[in-house]
Amino acid sequence: MLLSSNPNIVSEGGHVQGLTFSLLFSALNASVSGIIITDNQQPDNPIIYCNTAFEKISGYSRSEIIGHNCRFLQGKDRSQKARQQIAVAVEKAESCKVEIRNYRKNGDLFWNELFMAPVSDASGKVTHFIGVQNDITLREKAELELLEQKAVMEEQVRERTIKLKENEAFLSSIIETVRESLLVLDPDFKVISANDHFFKTFKVSSQETIGKLLYDLGNGQWNIEKLKELLLKILPTNNPVLDFEVEHEFPHIGKKLMLLNAYRIELEGQYKDRILIAIEDITERREIERRKDDFLSIASHELKTPLTSIKGFLQMLSRLQPAGMPDQYQVIFDKVNVSVDRLNMLITDLLDVSRIQSGNMEIHKDNFDFDKVVAETIEQMQSVSPDHTIISTGSSRALVKADEQQIVQVINNLLANAIKYSPDSKEIYVHISKVSDYVKLSVRDTGVGINLEDQQRVFQRFFRGAEFQKKFAGMGIGLYVCEQIIKNHNGTIWLNSEKGQGTTFNFTIPIEA
Amino acid sequence: MNKGNSKVIICDDDQSILELLGLVAETAGCEVVTLSKSMEVMKAIRQEHPALVVLDLWMPVMSGDMILQTIRKDTALKELPVVIISASRDGRQIAELNGATEYLAKPFDIMDLTAIFQKYCYV
Repeated sequence: MLLSSNPNIVSEGGHVQGLTFSLLFSALNASVSGIIITDNQQPDNPIIYCNTAFEKISGYSRSEIIGHNCRFLQGKDRSQKARQQIAVAVEKAESCKVEIRNYRKNGDLFWNELFMAPVSDASGKVTHFIGVQNDITLREKAELELLEQKAVMEEQVRERTIKLKENEAFLSSIIETVRESLLVLDPDFKVISANDHFFKTFKVSSQETIGKLLYDLGNGQWNIEKLKELLLKILPTNNPVLDFEVEHEFPHIGKKLMLLNAYRIELEGQYKDRILIAIEDITERREIERRKDDFLSIASHELKTPLTSIKGFLQMLSRLQPAGMPDQYQVIFDKVNVSVDRLNMLITDLLDVSRIQSGNMEIHKDNFDFDKVVAETIEQMQSVSPDHTIISTGSSRALVKADEQQIVQVINNLLANAIKYSPDSKEIYVHISKVSDYVKLSVRDTGVGINLEDQQRVFQRFFRGAEFQKKFAGMGIGLYVCEQIIKNHNGTIWLNSEKGQGTTFNFTIPIEA
Repeated sequence: MNKGNSKVIICDDDQSILELLGLVAETAGCEVVTLSKSMEVMKAIRQEHPALVVLDLWMPVMSGDMILQTIRKDTALKELPVVIISASRDGRQIAELNGATEYLAKPFDIMDLTAIFQKYCYV
């Protein structure tokens, strides 16, 4: 430091030194840093010099500064650590650098970055101290804000990490609790992870599973050409593999029926292009369904056996009734007969619903003359419905490949519904047509009609329109069975209806199945 | 049609239906042999030479379709008219698969049954 290195220059100054001196003073006043010099040889180390910048920083004028000890800048804020550092430096005659809280004349706090250095004479005695000060309030503030910001961010990161961990724990607890075996595969069909249920179901360890190719697991149970083809398409097309059944003699667990579903995981980033496979053991479920079907088959057979006797003997009674019986007798016979037929239909329908639900409704497709079968069905229905006239128009001239018995069941159902729900009108209209490679049948009545809301639901199992429940008997099975049959034939069934105007039911089925 | 033969053998394990079938057949003018045990059917056919056989499907020991198969395998009997009557949902398929001449679902209409008796028996 210029001043401290040789202070004697000033006092011994000649012309050249005088020039240097005034230059030095101008330079000191031009500095943006506040500069003070204290006299260590006087009591309490008073300030003997301050530059313009110091006046500006402190807010005090020169006359209020000279002669004071620097501590006036600290106001009442006396217990700062920095003060201790300064005291030690003064004591040991060393230089120091501190950041200290100072107060302007108006009381405002400012952060002072103070460089303090001792000035010694030729004998090494410390005669003065020089202090260079910079107002770093803004910097300090920015730093403080930064610190605060950092703290806030750290807190947020901490909170979010906790949340994330909780989420993860939550999700993994779900995954581990799910009663379905789950596998995650990479795009090369290697297993990345598996849940507990997988290990338990297949009685395998994670070592035997993770990192292995799906097709190499166990004794190659998933190594099925058809499945491979489907899985290959998952990533490029996003077509999931749905309800793929695998019946296999699995190691450790024996012969089982597994239901496999596979999906592409819809995530970007590190989880992109993963395949999730869910495997469900449906061996027992299928067995229960089979037993339920068997039970219902037997139950319906056993229910129909006495019904056969009732119907037959009733008809014999009617036929063998002696001459001269009142007309009412025949009316009663007919009414009982209708009830027996209805009971028979209900038993048949219940069995159908059960079979449809367990997917065991078999279709026996054969070629038949569609127009002829429709005509025969109408004729039969007409013979038992004397109050209505069924009017048939159009033709398909098609030989249809379908399950005749089931299609007849659908037509019967639609005709019976049309008659049942139009008690006050006489005509039922049937129209047959050929549309492209489909046959289409429409059954129209001018009866009570179906409101819009119920139209969406008439094909639901056990659905019955609220207003019909009391007026018309039924279980809500017929249309459900119809829709299932038509669906099984790759056709569609739909309706148009207006309340009070009547209803038209339509179905189409492909001519060549 | 079997000239001059009005004999029909009827087998159903349900006594009530067996009686009903017998009554309808008699009313139609047939000579009737009713059997409730399916094991006796083949023997009866060979002894009685009926014009028509009426069989239930689900019967204990020997089912209707088993009897039908036996009949169709026998060169002397393979043309014998056989009617299958069943309350089973698959009855028609089973009957057709095994070469039944006619099929009637239970509960049947006695008009249809009478028509069958009149068609195959000389009455």
